[in-house]
Amino acid sequence: MLRRLILGRLVDLAFVLVCVSIVVFAMIRLIPGDAVAIMLGANTEVTPEKVAALRAQIGLDQPMAVQYWHWIAKAVQGDLGTSLWTGKPVAAEIAAHVWPTLQLTMLALVLGAGLAVPAGCLMARLRGRGADAAMRVVTVAGLTIPSFWLGIVMILALATLAPSLQLLGYVPFADDPLGNLARLALPATALGLPILANLSRLVRSAMLDALGQDYIRTARAKGVPERGIVYRHALRNALIPFVTSVGIMTGYLLGGAIVVEQVFAIPGLGRLILGAIAERNYPLLQATILVVTLGFVVVNFCVDLLYLAIDPRVRA
Amino acid sequence: MARRGLRTLLLSGLFAAALAGAATAQVLEVAVDASPVGLDPHRATAFSTFQIINGTIYEGLTAIDKDLRVQPGLAASWTIAPDGKTYTFKLRPGMTFHDGSKVEAADVVATIHRVLSKEIASPLASRLAALDTATAPDAATVVLHLKEPSAPLLVSIATIAIVPRSMETEKEALQRAPIGTGPFKFKEWQANGFVALEKNPHYWRAGAPKLDGVKFNIVPESATRQVGISSGQYSMLPNIDAATALQLKGKPGVKLAETLELAYSFVAVNTSRPPFDNAKVREAVNYALNRQEIIAAALFGAGVPAGPLSPALKDWATPTSAFPCYKYDPAKAQALLKEAGHTAPVAISINVLPRQDIRDIAQVVQAQLNKAGFKVELKNQELGQFIQDWRNSNFDMFASANAGSPDPDDYFYRTFRTGGSTNVFKYSNPEIDGLLDTARTMQDAAQRRAAYDKAQRILACDGPVMHIAYGQLFTALRTNVQGFEIIANRSLATLADTTAK
Repeated sequence: MLRRLILGRLVDLAFVLVCVSIVVFAMIRLIPGDAVAIMLGANTEVTPEKVAALRAQIGLDQPMAVQYWHWIAKAVQGDLGTSLWTGKPVAAEIAAHVWPTLQLTMLALVLGAGLAVPAGCLMARLRGRGADAAMRVVTVAGLTIPSFWLGIVMILALATLAPSLQLLGYVPFADDPLGNLARLALPATALGLPILANLSRLVRSAMLDALGQDYIRTARAKGVPERGIVYRHALRNALIPFVTSVGIMTGYLLGGAIVVEQVFAIPGLGRLILGAIAERNYPLLQATILVVTLGFVVVNFCVDLLYLAIDPRVRA
Repeated sequence: MARRGLRTLLLSGLFAAALAGAATAQVLEVAVDASPVGLDPHRATAFSTFQIINGTIYEGLTAIDKDLRVQPGLAASWTIAPDGKTYTFKLRPGMTFHDGSKVEAADVVATIHRVLSKEIASPLASRLAALDTATAPDAATVVLHLKEPSAPLLVSIATIAIVPRSMETEKEALQRAPIGTGPFKFKEWQANGFVALEKNPHYWRAGAPKLDGVKFNIVPESATRQVGISSGQYSMLPNIDAATALQLKGKPGVKLAETLELAYSFVAVNTSRPPFDNAKVREAVNYALNRQEIIAAALFGAGVPAGPLSPALKDWATPTSAFPCYKYDPAKAQALLKEAGHTAPVAISINVLPRQDIRDIAQVVQAQLNKAGFKVELKNQELGQFIQDWRNSNFDMFASANAGSPDPDDYFYRTFRTGGSTNVFKYSNPEIDGLLDTARTMQDAAQRRAAYDKAQRILACDGPVMHIAYGQLFTALRTNVQGFEIIANRSLATLADTTAK
């Protein structure tokens, strides 16, 4: 039963990946202005022969289905091709950009999801009081403020309040662990705050839902202290929607990372994707999106597995 | 308690060291907005690459100085045969490439072959179109034989970076690990992070470079770059526009270097279809444009009205006061449209290059043309779409900006000659063709100047390009940066003589 469940999920995962690979492949080619146009740029001298030669070199002269087949056949063997511009293997480009993004999203997730549980529980316990209302207003603000704006404001504030702190850019953790964390603190906060706002509201309502259940009344009746009721009995049930949302949030995080990396000049996957779109770097873009998608579906696969741990009923 | 105190001390010490580390070595921290598309000087010709490699990593036989005039580069001197078809260059003695090999005439010849080769497919190949053969009679002498005299040759070869002969057929290596002769050599490229250059201790010019290195940080967000230079984390923002410069003006610790740009903003029309196939309608556009107003509204006043050549080219430019159609006169524009047979407002669309200053300019142009008998629709396009329409001549009018060139032939011939390689306007004027054909082979400077003067007077009112403005170009520097000179072609070659104490 369990094995079938996991197998089914794995099939879903493969299906999603194939669909995404097709959509991305087609989409980047359907945008007007192909790689050759961008490569040659406006106002350079171009002969039709040169354009044709470049197109053939990239393989754009072939039908799209043939191009896709060539690409996917190599990709499943682990060969993601080479970047059109730098000539570097795409896998190496992705490897060089993946760590900043992973670090940034993990920090933001830890910050956002980690604080959301106590914040949500607190709001549920304070329900109806002024403090609850105030916190809810703050979370709505958190939901509506975009990360990139928050990021710019934080940079400006830092420059005004503490101009001697020079924390722009990125240094690898291995080179300078403290400098690395100091530089990631602001972007992780900018990225994590909307998640904190979103998830804490979710925890609050799930918590209130759970607190209204019969077993809570029973627990109260047998004299379990309020703290125990909230954190031992109700929280576990309230966590299921929370865990689902965390899985979906990783998608949001990767999207948000694109703009936050842009603002804070962090050399991550988001910058790689934006650059690849602008220069129509087909192999690089296809592979990067595929890797990001893989990350997203794997996280959600893990979330599904987590249900099994949290809720025994799913196993039945 | 003591242990805890010690740990705090240690941590804060580390933190301070991390922050102070950059200040000890004299490395100039530069912030640029875009990653280079590669570092091969013959294949990557985008501006994002040019400003990192030109005159820093790579050099040509000749060089362009801050007044945009030709100076000796790797060639110490040259002679031109009386027929104008043979150029003999003498290389400086004792120069080496960054990989340690000697710079010899064979390297120059191999470089020229590389630029012309089909496999490398260099966009620079057309600059050598007049070349017949290149030979190296001895290790210090390069001889270029031309098919016909070419006046712009010395300017054209300034942008042909000399690379080691071992690179002649090497396609990818230079894109990632450039090897040149310049004052700085390549150290590291962290994709989307930075490009770091370090001092070339064997540079041929004594006393240069003065810096230990230059680090080009890639910072896409404009607000972040501005904060970075205000706080001193970055010491230079090269080639910024007037809007950014205005915001940095007067900030403590920041100074601005400025020059008139060689690059120009313009609108251009398609002369192969109505309404702009009619020269009267083109003339009407010129009368309808108020260039001063555009500069005031869209460029914050930082610029001058543009004729076909930049006043930065002191030897060549004809002043705009010589062009009758540059007088702002919307009534005259409407009269011309009537003469051309248009009674109702003439409906046209403008494709707009996705760049803020061009968008602003296009909006003012739209308002001005609407007042003078046109009905203008603006199309704000994504870059790929814009280039595609440009290449396919799929436009009524477009608004854009071009980098200029120090020699008029480089711009005029390919742009306005019938069938020219960037004549996407399909403009054809036998008189212009004749002028451009003869001017490029003229040896006498005064004669050549007269020919281009005539060409400018025709192009200004009849041509397919309505030049709008040469903007003011700025570079923001920390006040401790000395010796840097801004050059109108956006090259950062003067970093060789820059210090940051």
